[in-house]
Amino acid sequence: MKKNVSGLVFLLALQFAPLLTGSSIALADVNPQQLEIFRKVQPSDEVAVAQASKLAKELSTRGDLQSLTALRAMKGASSLGKNWLLGLANAAQNRQAASKADLEAFLKDQNQDPEARYTVFRWLVEGNVEARKQWLASMTEDSSPEIRYEAIELALEPTDLPEAKLQLLLDSARQPEQVTAIIQRLDKLGVKVDQAKHFGFLTQWKFVGPFDNVGSNKFDMAYPVEADFVAGKLADGYTGKTGAVSWVSETSSSSEGLVDLAKLFNNEKGCIVYGVAEVNSAKEVACELRVGCINAQKLWVNGELVIANEVYHTGMQVDQYIAPIKLKAGVNKILIKVCQNEQKEAWAQRYIFQARICDSTGKAVPLN
Amino acid sequence: MAKRFALTRWLMIVTASLVANPGMGDDWPQFRGPHLGGMSSKSKLPDKFDGESGSNIAWKTPIPGRSVSGAIVLGDQVITTTSDGLEQRRIRLLSYDAKSGKLRWEQQLVARGRPYCHPTSANAAPTPASDGKHVVAFFSSNDIACTDLQGNLLWYRSLASDFPKAGNDVGMSASPAIVDGIVVVQVECQGDSFALGMSVADGTTAWKQERPRKANWASPTPVILPSGKSAVVMQSSENLVAVNPADGKELWKIDMGCSTTPSSTVANGRLIVPSGGLTALDLSSAGAPSKLWFENKLNTTACSPLVDNDKVYIVNRTILVCGDLFTGKVLWQLRIPDANQIWSSPVISGNRLYLFSMDGSCAVVSLEAEEGKIESINKLEDEVLGSPAIAGNAMYVRGAKNLWKIEAK
Repeated sequence: MKKNVSGLVFLLALQFAPLLTGSSIALADVNPQQLEIFRKVQPSDEVAVAQASKLAKELSTRGDLQSLTALRAMKGASSLGKNWLLGLANAAQNRQAASKADLEAFLKDQNQDPEARYTVFRWLVEGNVEARKQWLASMTEDSSPEIRYEAIELALEPTDLPEAKLQLLLDSARQPEQVTAIIQRLDKLGVKVDQAKHFGFLTQWKFVGPFDNVGSNKFDMAYPVEADFVAGKLADGYTGKTGAVSWVSETSSSSEGLVDLAKLFNNEKGCIVYGVAEVNSAKEVACELRVGCINAQKLWVNGELVIANEVYHTGMQVDQYIAPIKLKAGVNKILIKVCQNEQKEAWAQRYIFQARICDSTGKAVPLN
Repeated sequence: MAKRFALTRWLMIVTASLVANPGMGDDWPQFRGPHLGGMSSKSKLPDKFDGESGSNIAWKTPIPGRSVSGAIVLGDQVITTTSDGLEQRRIRLLSYDAKSGKLRWEQQLVARGRPYCHPTSANAAPTPASDGKHVVAFFSSNDIACTDLQGNLLWYRSLASDFPKAGNDVGMSASPAIVDGIVVVQVECQGDSFALGMSVADGTTAWKQERPRKANWASPTPVILPSGKSAVVMQSSENLVAVNPADGKELWKIDMGCSTTPSSTVANGRLIVPSGGLTALDLSSAGAPSKLWFENKLNTTACSPLVDNDKVYIVNRTILVCGDLFTGKVLWQLRIPDANQIWSSPVISGNRLYLFSMDGSCAVVSLEAEEGKIESINKLEDEVLGSPAIAGNAMYVRGAKNLWKIEAK
């Protein structure tokens, strides 16, 4: 009984502590090193999932983890680990919100994890339109892609922005639809932007085909083109689906870098076409190859396979598939294998792709 | 006679299993409700309501982002999902107070899988599920998270990180099911295509089963077998399979082409399977169920079938069709006036069927007479693609942009 009474006194003390101190309860925080289990969770690591789940329950029961402690631990964590920590931070914030001053300091700290900072931004401005506007007014160059996107969206709201302002926003923008919208607004002001060049789309191609893909079972079959490309010596012609085939040049005039293989190859179905593009880099550079394609496709850069997706007719968009690549100084060769199946539906007739090279933020890298 | 006895025994088992699940009485814990039938016989819902004037709208709460999932109801919480931000990568689980519509807690993660989908859909497409202690939120990007009822994260997995070719850029939408402590998800696409059973306690894999490498949006359907044991039925364009939720072992398989959007329904010892029409299977005997009937006129386009009072209801494009549960014979059909696309599976309360079309108009259909009759067409100022939830005398509708509570004033 005595034990119960002392427990009750403790609970009451906790309950009324804010009134006594005039501030929120300052619970003891957890040691950040305890969060290492979450930071290291990797795909398919079931042991780590079990350990993380056990610790998450313990922390939830104890209730002493503070939201910003979890968010700080996101820096340098694995992508899965970041979500564990984000989940713990949300729960901690539900339990006891961090002070506004602490949240603001965290948001201003560009050294913190970008996803963590955007989370804090949301906590700060949720339901407060004016606060959101004030923060975003100076964030069009923010290192967090999510914050940057929202800041540019807000900056684009006035319909009468002058060319200079739109040009600045175009330099800052990375999200494809946002970039396209700015280019369209500049166009209305009479300013022409080479959209394909701005995105870094590859527009000069040579194609050979069609090769057989009846039954859609040749995705992993290496026609001689592949071995020749890896060996660095493509032949002038090959034996295709119905006889000899040779390379044809194609320049895409699409502002989105689209290459319509259905048009080039007479709506051939059950087939494979190979395409080669060359880019000249002044120096060795780490960047990304980003592809949109409605058909199954593989891509190689300088002989190395970097993208492979055996998926037909389930949507297409800019930057649908992304692979980190390294370009060498000088000429770099890209090979694409695009597979068409034999579906008969009207929506399954497209045979089309687009590819671009950009940095990890989505900005085109300078190439010739 | 033997068949009738088997059915009666089966129903007794099912009833006992439902009674043995305390705390779930008035809840709507998953897609299509507690018994997957989309029914709440006790509730009294209004025949008329209006989003613009607020008539019979208890509250409306705007929710950022977009969702085509349904809400679930657990006690005094209404729980739903949304996806917003850059590429809809912010995936959120939100709990609202059922009485006031005010936010109680929120979880927010970042999609690690492919968030892309057709503009009609959303990353927040599957309806969450609960066993009364856990809430499981699954997203088109194949991120899955489990919280307790206070929003504390219990576990998280990115199935697209575990299986990198899992995904469909039209969007995935199969809702999870929780059976005997196992969360079952169907991730079926042209890439890594599988069904997975995970411990609801800690998210670890209990089993994995390869599935046809074809797009599929139908949800797993829990059933009770004649033995009293649970099973999970999964449909695909190639077959219908029942597995043991504990270990994923196949209990039976029927080679039949099932629909890949609407899900199956269990009622009165029958499994009602959308299959280019409707197939009724007899669940009352051991082994693979035998076919009772097939009716191609009961061809449901997107909505899952609904069973009430020995009748089965399906929606073919914008036509509500009623059939006899025992024979499959079409009894009547009713064109829903001015309806555009219908994705939301209908629900029944008392003798009223509520059917939302995508533009937010809801046809209230009276089921009292021999043929269905439209009582009213009611408009919410919202897109509605998810199936409503019913609890108490209220219907909770997850619009694409708002959560609505509809209740007679």
